Amino acid sequence: MKVSYRWLRDLAPGFELTPGQAIARLALRGSPVEDVEDLAEGLRDVVIGQVLEARPHPNADRLTLCRVAGPEGEVPVVCGAPVVHEGAFYPFAPVGAVLPGGFRIGKRKIRGEVSQGMLCSESELGLGEDHAGIMLLEGEYEAGASFARAAGLADHRFDVEVTPNRGDLLSHVGIARELHPEGQAAIELPAFPLGADGSGGGSGVDPGFARGGSESTSAGVGIAIEDPALCPRYLGAVIRGVAVGDSPRWLTDRLRAAGARPVNNVVDATNYVMLELGQPLHAFDLARLDDATIVVGRANPGEALVTLDGEERSVTPEMLMIRDAHRPVAIAGVMGGRDSEVSEATRDILLECALFEPKQVRATRRALGMSTDASYRFERGVDPTTMETAVRRAAALIVATAGGRLDGEIIDACPVPWKQPRVTLRPGRVKHLLGVGFTSGEIVRLLLPLGYEVVEQAGDAGDALEFLVPGHRSYDTLREVDLIEEVARAYGYDTFPEALAPFRPGTVPDHPLFQLEDRLRALLAADGISEAQTPALGPAGSGDVALLNPMSAEESALRRDRLTGVLGHVERNMARGVRDVRLFELGTAFAPAPEGPPAESARVAAVLTGRRAPVQWSDAGDGFDVYDIARVLELIATEVSHEWRVVPCGGAGENGPELPRRVGGLFVPGRWYAVRGPGGEIVGWGGEIAPAAMDLPRWAGAVVGAEVVLPDRPAPKAAATASELPGHPASQRDVAFLLPVGAAAGDVLRSARAGGGQLLEAVELFDLYEGGDLPPGSRSLAVRLRFRARGRTLTDREVDKAFRRVLTRVKEETGVEPRS
Amino acid sequence: MIEELAGLERQALAAVREAKDGGALERVRVRYLGRREGLVSGLLRKLGTIDPADRPAAGAAANRTRKTLEKALDERSRELAALAEADPAHVDLTLPARRKWRGTIHPVSRVVDDIWAIFRSLGFTRARGPEVDTEWYNFVALNTPLDHPAADEQDTLYLAPGLLLRSHTSPVQIRTMERYPPPIRIVAPGMVYRRDTYDATHTPAFAQIEGLVVDEGVTFVDLKATLAEFGRRFWGPGTEVRFRPSFFPFTEPSAEVDVKRVIVRDDGSRETTDWIEVMGAGMVDPAVLENVGYDSERYTGWAFGMGPARAAMLRHGVSDLRLFYENDMRFLRQFA
Repeated sequence: MKVSYRWLRDLAPGFELTPGQAIARLALRGSPVEDVEDLAEGLRDVVIGQVLEARPHPNADRLTLCRVAGPEGEVPVVCGAPVVHEGAFYPFAPVGAVLPGGFRIGKRKIRGEVSQGMLCSESELGLGEDHAGIMLLEGEYEAGASFARAAGLADHRFDVEVTPNRGDLLSHVGIARELHPEGQAAIELPAFPLGADGSGGGSGVDPGFARGGSESTSAGVGIAIEDPALCPRYLGAVIRGVAVGDSPRWLTDRLRAAGARPVNNVVDATNYVMLELGQPLHAFDLARLDDATIVVGRANPGEALVTLDGEERSVTPEMLMIRDAHRPVAIAGVMGGRDSEVSEATRDILLECALFEPKQVRATRRALGMSTDASYRFERGVDPTTMETAVRRAAALIVATAGGRLDGEIIDACPVPWKQPRVTLRPGRVKHLLGVGFTSGEIVRLLLPLGYEVVEQAGDAGDALEFLVPGHRSYDTLREVDLIEEVARAYGYDTFPEALAPFRPGTVPDHPLFQLEDRLRALLAADGISEAQTPALGPAGSGDVALLNPMSAEESALRRDRLTGVLGHVERNMARGVRDVRLFELGTAFAPAPEGPPAESARVAAVLTGRRAPVQWSDAGDGFDVYDIARVLELIATEVSHEWRVVPCGGAGENGPELPRRVGGLFVPGRWYAVRGPGGEIVGWGGEIAPAAMDLPRWAGAVVGAEVVLPDRPAPKAAATASELPGHPASQRDVAFLLPVGAAAGDVLRSARAGGGQLLEAVELFDLYEGGDLPPGSRSLAVRLRFRARGRTLTDREVDKAFRRVLTRVKEETGVEPRS
Repeated sequence: MIEELAGLERQALAAVREAKDGGALERVRVRYLGRREGLVSGLLRKLGTIDPADRPAAGAAANRTRKTLEKALDERSRELAALAEADPAHVDLTLPARRKWRGTIHPVSRVVDDIWAIFRSLGFTRARGPEVDTEWYNFVALNTPLDHPAADEQDTLYLAPGLLLRSHTSPVQIRTMERYPPPIRIVAPGMVYRRDTYDATHTPAFAQIEGLVVDEGVTFVDLKATLAEFGRRFWGPGTEVRFRPSFFPFTEPSAEVDVKRVIVRDDGSRETTDWIEVMGAGMVDPAVLENVGYDSERYTGWAFGMGPARAAMLRHGVSDLRLFYENDMRFLRQFA
């Protein structure tokens, strides 16, 4: 809501807040000012200039040579306007002034004559469209004085953030009422017609009302309401003999100050009253209403109308229309029709001041994909008690600015008279909710300035108080708790104490998945990997969970996995020349479900590429490879469950039919692992990313990545049982196995472990060698076996025996023998 | 003279023993035996000024001292050479330390962790809920009818009619209360989604953290006290916390919480910020409690919601929210 500070001041005599104070107060009342504009700022350098002498330019037909009295005495000015009045006052930009558009005035010579400044037109000052002539100021001024102040343009425009429950603040009266300690009582509407500066003025129009139910008639115009639930009241004023034209300066200035665009004197009057009181109004060209009739009713199937914005709108029977005898002429509460729009040819008008049901207006304007100043206010609730004031004021303003006369009484069709809501409040409940006790008297004193009236008879609910809710709060204050909020607001949130009370522990256990995520985060960061965060939205692939109303194709579906998103970060980093990328991410993946919501699963994904360690003097700078991602998978798997195993998958060619579809082609065949749960189910995968799966620069090294599906509610891991430390020395035997082509190192190690029995404490692979004098493709596996017994020292014989068992077992199970 | 010589000799021998390398040893030699400035040489030059009867004895003593010192210097020099040879793995500690990659936790996660740590100490636990939810949980149960303008405040992404990506973490309030009886004392961090395009302060998906307290006797005074305590702990010493009226459909009264922080610069100077809006809060609307079957006459509660990414922006001086989701290594590694 755009608000003119001067307008606020003019509505509440005695309003003494400075713009800064008003802003601070609005913030504390719950309607912060998002933006402030000093409207005089662009006019800072413009002053009042008096033309002392004006004569035609000797060398140009259309130019005038003036002598202008300004801030620094008299100066010669060449003016582009052919007619300049001697003795008159104009806005004057002296040498050095900067105009709103940024144009700087310099000393110039125009066709041989010196010009020291410029007499300005409206458009040059940003005050209007008129750039034909310079702006003649009526009245007496002091030459050299600030133009903005003298012309009443010194003002501030606030952009006030109004919450959806406060439709009553969508007007200047509403904001002034909110700011003034006396509330509504402080408001005094200035009468029309106003003087040139917007103040004063005589008595306005004070017509009577032709009261009716669903129908009412006056001045030969009939109004009928067919759907009282959606339109409880419709007022119409007939004004005949208007001359549609420009509005007076004070009116256009005021509208501009509040951010509205002047149109013509009739439309400006309706906008003025809407901005002042919050009641949307509409003026019809009466001659365009068939049979001079208004019917408030539903649209017929297949109907359409062209609205004021020139759009053809198809309307449906769910929508409420304002119709004449034959067709819709306006969409109720949203926008008028172009056909009955007020134009320069208009002589007679029908001024509409109606109340429409908020949900209906909201549904209609949403269905039509539009929002207007009127619909915005109706949706949030328009004060039913302001209607009569609004229609009278708008009529008076039109008569004052466009002439004409009000014909007959104001037509008042009111099938559902407004009933003032009553809300009961128990002082005990106030303390129960707010923690501070208030007496009945205190509560009444707090609520009175907000417009609430206490009903004397409190009823039979003990000390309960019954309040009448003022019209402007009647959409929001419906329940006891709403009144309690008003008490808290009036008391001032900052006045409440801050006493920390004792509390009982809650019944909700800390969710174990958060705990697991915390541990994984710490674990992976400790392994040198940085945490990434990716929105779960991505481009749609076939079968993905797609959005109904995406913002863009790039974010039109939910991610089915997290790894591909993290791989995208690798691409982005590499595109920026960053080669060393180590990222992990915790997030949700979404799998489509045949019915209902998609299946969500928590995931952890990680990716490594580039050097295994930072560049340094002690390191060859090897790059990450598939064995690094194996470690990451083991870290994660071990953290989640003792029963999870990381297993190498497939020989060359096999590529995981069990893997999720998207992930299946992600890895280089034969270079990936799976994480298997206790039942053999795949819960994670990781390996070397196939180059074709990514868009990487040529210099990129191997990229390895992994993803693990976390349990929805991880079971706590059993606490480790400590074993006693050995008290006797161990014996070691080293052996080198010669692995022929195709033999798996893991099989050899597993057989070795199995063959050693209880005496074998550890199997350590300490070297892997290939090439040299070995047969092509075969590898030498250097293994240290450590034997130890509990409670005694092993003899050489025992160790030799166990060692031979290991060799035998390896030979039997894998065919592999030690190197001779 | 002879006594002076003896004194010099003691000093010089001590200095020789203390010399730790060749350079230091050479400095000792120059100091005592240097031809021009050396202390012993200086004494020798004064021989002519003493009683001729004492000269031979003094001269002999001076020579002895010089010989003793030369020998000591020689020995120490060999000693030092031997020491250097005996340490073949001489360690040059001026080389840079051996480095490993250091991983970092995302700044937004870190903020969530810090928020959680404070609420944990105030007796809270963590709850979570699905990111895809229904209109009932996201709006209606939270006292936000879809035909009310309040529903527009959060432009929502839909998967199907009635099925949406949650636009706030508040559905977790409903799901938690449906499953557990009071007292409730939870925070619920999680991702939420809005129909926003990327700009410096908006992303279509972002982190949020929700808090909910429901029990007998919970009041607005508790809300203020707890959130002010949180604000001061999270935003640092000297922080002022202010509560302003606001509107959320699921709380009444509703409040906007502002903080005024004290920023201590590297040079120790202090600056107090303007009021910054950091969270929304309020007393749980009785309609919300009734929607989950709680007796709203018996139980009262309060709730809050805040955006950790915004807090991370303020904390780290990041002016563009998008940096948090681009995941550039050079950005993330700054948060070690």
